[in-house]
Amino acid sequence: MKFGLFYEISVPRPWGRDTEKVVYDRCLEQVKLADELGFDSVWAVEHHFLEEYSHCPAPELFLTACAMVTKKMRVGHGIVVCVPEFNHPIKIAERTAVLDILSGGRLEVGTGRSATWTELGGFRVNPDETKKTWDEIVHCLPKMWTQERYSYQGRSWSMPQRTIVPKPFQKPHPPMWVAVTSPGTEIDAAERGMGSLGLTFGGFAEQEQKVKRYRQIIRNCEPVGEFVNESVSTVNFLFCHEDDAEGVKVGRRLTGTFNYLAAQLLAAREAYPTKSYPSLGLLPSLRREAAGPGDEMGAPEGIAIGNPARIVRELKKWESVGVDRVNFLLNALETVPQEQVLNSLRLFAREVMPHFEKKETSRTEAAAAAAGAR
Amino acid sequence: MPPRFGKLDTNAWAKFASTINGFKTEEWKLKNAGILELHQEIDDDPADALIPRAMHPAIPAYTIINVMHVEESPVGEFSIAEVRVAGRTGVRPRGFVLRSYCNSEAARKELGARWGYPVTPGDVSLTLRHDRVVGRVKVDGRTILHVEQLDRDVISGNDIQYIASMHLAHSREDQKLVLIQVDPEYAFSRAERGRPSVVALDSEAFGAGGNLRLMNPIMASYTMAEVTLPKIRYVCNPELPALQGTTKVAA
Repeated sequence: MKFGLFYEISVPRPWGRDTEKVVYDRCLEQVKLADELGFDSVWAVEHHFLEEYSHCPAPELFLTACAMVTKKMRVGHGIVVCVPEFNHPIKIAERTAVLDILSGGRLEVGTGRSATWTELGGFRVNPDETKKTWDEIVHCLPKMWTQERYSYQGRSWSMPQRTIVPKPFQKPHPPMWVAVTSPGTEIDAAERGMGSLGLTFGGFAEQEQKVKRYRQIIRNCEPVGEFVNESVSTVNFLFCHEDDAEGVKVGRRLTGTFNYLAAQLLAAREAYPTKSYPSLGLLPSLRREAAGPGDEMGAPEGIAIGNPARIVRELKKWESVGVDRVNFLLNALETVPQEQVLNSLRLFAREVMPHFEKKETSRTEAAAAAAGAR
Repeated sequence: MPPRFGKLDTNAWAKFASTINGFKTEEWKLKNAGILELHQEIDDDPADALIPRAMHPAIPAYTIINVMHVEESPVGEFSIAEVRVAGRTGVRPRGFVLRSYCNSEAARKELGARWGYPVTPGDVSLTLRHDRVVGRVKVDGRTILHVEQLDRDVISGNDIQYIASMHLAHSREDQKLVLIQVDPEYAFSRAERGRPSVVALDSEAFGAGGNLRLMNPIMASYTMAEVTLPKIRYVCNPELPALQGTTKVAA
């Protein structure tokens, strides 16, 4: 199992001149340390207008900075919004290629379509269309990355023949993922040969079924890219402390703050009746699970808060249902002091990581290696 | 401490509030209810003055305008219209009702006394046409609300999400102001959506003055449903954050 960091970059009010800079600097300090400690990857969301919850509208810039302060960590879009009003497909292909070059071939490309009215309405996007445009763009991207000359006449966008440069450093191209929030999106990921970038979870039984279904379907997939990225990742919170009670207490503060903030978002479905968004998206299940009463210590099942022994136990459950990678949210509104966040990372690396063997995600690595990547 | 809170002057607003008899209300079934609902964004900052401190504003702020015609209820046929401002109580989406207008005296009396609807007399109508659904409220012959759903497209009832309401009311027991959560249940027999159009909205008539400034239209829907007005489950202190000031009064 691999471990990564996952950033929403929440910024508390009041917003002074330095507030956002301080938060960004702290994130980069965490990333740098995590790289030294052996964390595998760092992921950043793309959100717009989500005041306090996420001040991360330009993940490619944040991830570039991450790449500059790290040596080994992979840098991942978690996700880039594949809706032309947000990001023109050509710009997505170009920006990701540049980031892959600057990071020395460490890019992972998560894709998605946004789930809030706040964002969709802000860009004047028709929510009925986003799934279709996402599908169109994820089929285009690998060709834009690999074909010397490219032209396209499609449903939501088109371009005459041009040479899209530069090309990604990884050959044939970076691994591709799908953000999985709505039920059934893991099937969309599998059918397209893309990694399942989980942003929610239900119970372990439900997750096990999802993973099983994903792995069955992906065996007969029609990959959008030139190789299959068979990987399942999920998102979690992390606060690790020698004292279990203290770890759970601070961890609950983190999860509670994050959940409270996330609940303020205006889901697309709440404002705009549409079958295109069958669920509320944006971590609702994670919120539900993490807000539960928990065990006798108050720690919800599956959440990585507490002492190392507890966290090992909870993460083993994820491993047992077939999850390859867990990406951690470390803070929300700076509710956990930076030094405690850094100490939590150090303790996790020292006491928890050794319990998990780093297994390569076979089909991705093999296929990419066969194609001459890395 | 996140996030923003409402800034409604509840004491000034109390003049619109009904007096609720108690919190042990029995549920009502409303049969063959036609419901027109419009969502439209409103200017954020002034909208903060339209929800109580117990609530957080929605991001972006938006208003929910309802016009409902009920064919059968314990007090017979009636129509009611209301304007709400969307927000959150704690982590739950809720709409704060500014004012309601209703064309039935019996319904006004019971809805106010049982669920704290801030309801006053008005000539409310809901009209179905081939290309639109029209909701209107007139008071003393003057139109104070005229809304329409244009381009009627049939959708699934599963795609509709109505959010619960919060009513500011006086408690008969101690005359204190209290926020009543009213979360109806809906069994849909028809659902459609279309473009929203607010032809007329007299914000003074809904107590909002200059604070309700319509902005970006979102969507309109029309449904036919059996509606259950349930027992009151939660009440809140309007001046405290909902996580601190909420009391459970029924399972």
